[in-house]
Amino acid sequence: MPVPEPESASAESQSLTKAQKKAEGRARQEQQRAAKAAQKQQQQSGQNAGSSSNKSKGSTVQKKPASESNKLSSAAASSSKDAPTTREGAVGADGLSDGPKSRGLRIFSHFGLPKTPGHQIKGDIHPAIVKLGLQFSEFKICGANARCIATLTAFKTVIQDYVTPPHNTLSRHLMTHLSPQITHLVTARPMSVTMGNAIRQLKLEISGSDIDLPEQDAKDALCQEIDNYIRDRIIIADEVIEDLAVKKIKDGDVVLTYARSSLVEKILLRAHSLNKRFSVVVIDSRPLLEGKTLLHSLTSVIPPIPCTYALLPALPSLITDADIVLLGAHSLHANGSVYSRAGTAMVAMLAKEHSVPVMLCCETYKFSETVMLDGFGKNELAPMKFSLDAPKSNSNLEVLNPLYDSTPASCITAVVTEVGLIPPTSISSIPLALGRTTL
Amino acid sequence: MTSDPQSTANQRIVEDLVSRLRRRQLVGSRATALETLLVLRQVVSKARFSNIDQLVNIIRSVGRRLVDAQPKGLYILVTYISYSFLELEHSVGNTVRKVLHHIREEYHTANEQPAAESSFSIAKFVLQGQPRKQATIPSSESRVPLKENDPDDPDSFARVLKPVLMEAIQDVFDELETVYDNISKNAKDHIHSDEIILTLGMSKTVDSFLKAAAHYRNYTVIVAETAPSYGGREMAKSLSSAGISTFLVPDSSIYALMSRVNKVILGAHAILANGGMFATSGSLLAATAARSYSTPVVVCAGQFKLTPLWNLYHEYGALDFGDPSAVLCFDEGDLVDKVDVVNPYYDYVRPELLDVFITNYGDHPPSSIYRLLKETYDDEDNEL
Repeated sequence: MPVPEPESASAESQSLTKAQKKAEGRARQEQQRAAKAAQKQQQQSGQNAGSSSNKSKGSTVQKKPASESNKLSSAAASSSKDAPTTREGAVGADGLSDGPKSRGLRIFSHFGLPKTPGHQIKGDIHPAIVKLGLQFSEFKICGANARCIATLTAFKTVIQDYVTPPHNTLSRHLMTHLSPQITHLVTARPMSVTMGNAIRQLKLEISGSDIDLPEQDAKDALCQEIDNYIRDRIIIADEVIEDLAVKKIKDGDVVLTYARSSLVEKILLRAHSLNKRFSVVVIDSRPLLEGKTLLHSLTSVIPPIPCTYALLPALPSLITDADIVLLGAHSLHANGSVYSRAGTAMVAMLAKEHSVPVMLCCETYKFSETVMLDGFGKNELAPMKFSLDAPKSNSNLEVLNPLYDSTPASCITAVVTEVGLIPPTSISSIPLALGRTTL
Repeated sequence: MTSDPQSTANQRIVEDLVSRLRRRQLVGSRATALETLLVLRQVVSKARFSNIDQLVNIIRSVGRRLVDAQPKGLYILVTYISYSFLELEHSVGNTVRKVLHHIREEYHTANEQPAAESSFSIAKFVLQGQPRKQATIPSSESRVPLKENDPDDPDSFARVLKPVLMEAIQDVFDELETVYDNISKNAKDHIHSDEIILTLGMSKTVDSFLKAAAHYRNYTVIVAETAPSYGGREMAKSLSSAGISTFLVPDSSIYALMSRVNKVILGAHAILANGGMFATSGSLLAATAARSYSTPVVVCAGQFKLTPLWNLYHEYGALDFGDPSAVLCFDEGDLVDKVDVVNPYYDYVRPELLDVFITNYGDHPPSSIYRLLKETYDDEDNEL
């Protein structure tokens, strides 16, 4: 800090000779400031603070005012730097930052805030992706399969509309064009494992595309690859799984399912079309109440499938009647735990307790190499629009709607995949069996 | 009951309570117990009897009337279950049993039969639980020799005994009035600082227990909403208004959050002799999830919920079903026609899933509930 020596000395002498008269010292300082116009406001206030604090100490500490004001300003700066961050943290956790709440906030802080629709668009985002982002954040497109197919379809449009800039190659540049699109989708809603797997595959295809290929041909080839992925890993896989799972439904069975899995829905409809006589127990729960959608499609076939509907707390009364439990999954992890709609774990747990076989229906593209130990570490919160009739959050009350939970492998009897029925613990061997060389 | 004019007055108040129970205008175990007690007090005060058996019969017949009058859950498994098991508001029968127990106790004290009580034996202990403590409290009033079946003055027995009986009923009444305070008085020993407690549904007992602990401890409560009644929302509001840090979650996330929960605290509808309990539906899910994470499950309940019944065959609790429109409302018109909707009120929770019952008579493990029952009621009243 450029405090001129004579000035500070004179100030010091001022405060020394007229120790009691602070006001006069200030007046003298004002004069000095007039003489030295270069002196800044902040410095002067530092000088003031220094002189007033030092007035009883004596002239031995000459440099102190400056260093003190330095400290003060730096402390002020750091505190002003701290303030926004703490405020941000509080906002990130639903705008609650009261003392006793902080603990509760901390353990739930990693869940992430439910996204508000109409989030900001940063950078060059393709309109198809903007639309998709809104559909994601409003839960218009929901479910691992639906989201994956929608993403890939949107990416086809993006790739077709993409023009390689000069002095660049498609195989190197396209990914840099796609990554902001992906980021935009992730800000709309955290990425599903299925989307992650599909995008990884797409990246592989892009980087492997031939440099010498004309641009349009390369783009067509990529779109073809995307179509193949959707066909092979999702649509055909689902058909194979349907065939396998339908064999496990016998006449007179009571099939219990939870919420709505598109795959389980297809299996039940297939079994119905094969004239199997069975009834379905649909267990459902807030926040999404997706089971009602399943009920609609099961009862709209002719003749309607006999259905029983109940909410999760009623499950113990119904599980004893069930012969088989069919569940869907969001993703399947290397340790065999199943990441799926919140509530699935309890259905599987109770089914195991009552010795009812639990069949998890899941395509292999939902496999993830990560390990999941409990449903707490990674989760997502449903937006507030799903808890409108719940009491409003206040300083002591917070409404949380986790969307997922993790079912331990021990509660799953078998996983139905397009490569057959396998125990959940042998998930990790499947990617290798499918021809993947690296993990 | 003899057909004297007083008994019609009795019948009227009994019928009044019966109809309110039937219409579910009276819900909640404690409220029901209090109302039952009021009716019994009326009945006893107006009753004419000349020996103890007559009195016991009068009370029993009122009790039976109240118990039988309640709506019965219809279920295919009915064949397995003893008839009295179907009563829904168990606290009615329990209160009657408790009053009978107290009346007998007073009668024995007044009658003074020290010879029978002096010899303790293991057989007797097994039969009756702890030896009665009646000999320790000598009645303060001047001892009038009790004369049963006095042909000259048939009311003399009643005249002498009635004040004592009223006192006994008042004791039961006082116990019910203070039940929440007594359950909550040790709350701080069960809940520690920075713990995360999971509870569900609306239970006044649990509510007062948690609030009592909040005076001493700073902790967090996660409340499951408990669809379709959504009693948990009410509970969460009540707890948060008392300054407790509260999280309201859907039932579906109980398992996901269980790994961070230190204790599950539940309310009970009825505690059975084997140490199991009937509780709000959803309790079994929470208790089972807690077991898979080895989280302790604590049940807070007043002693009037102790019910001398065993549940050996009925593995699950749906004896009573609620309004299906709460689950699938009539807005979903086309679905309502085609779909069966199930909405049970209660779960049966097995004793293995529970760790402790906190009652106004101290803390008990499920395995010693039968002993508490022996102390509370007389064996001959198990079937009213």
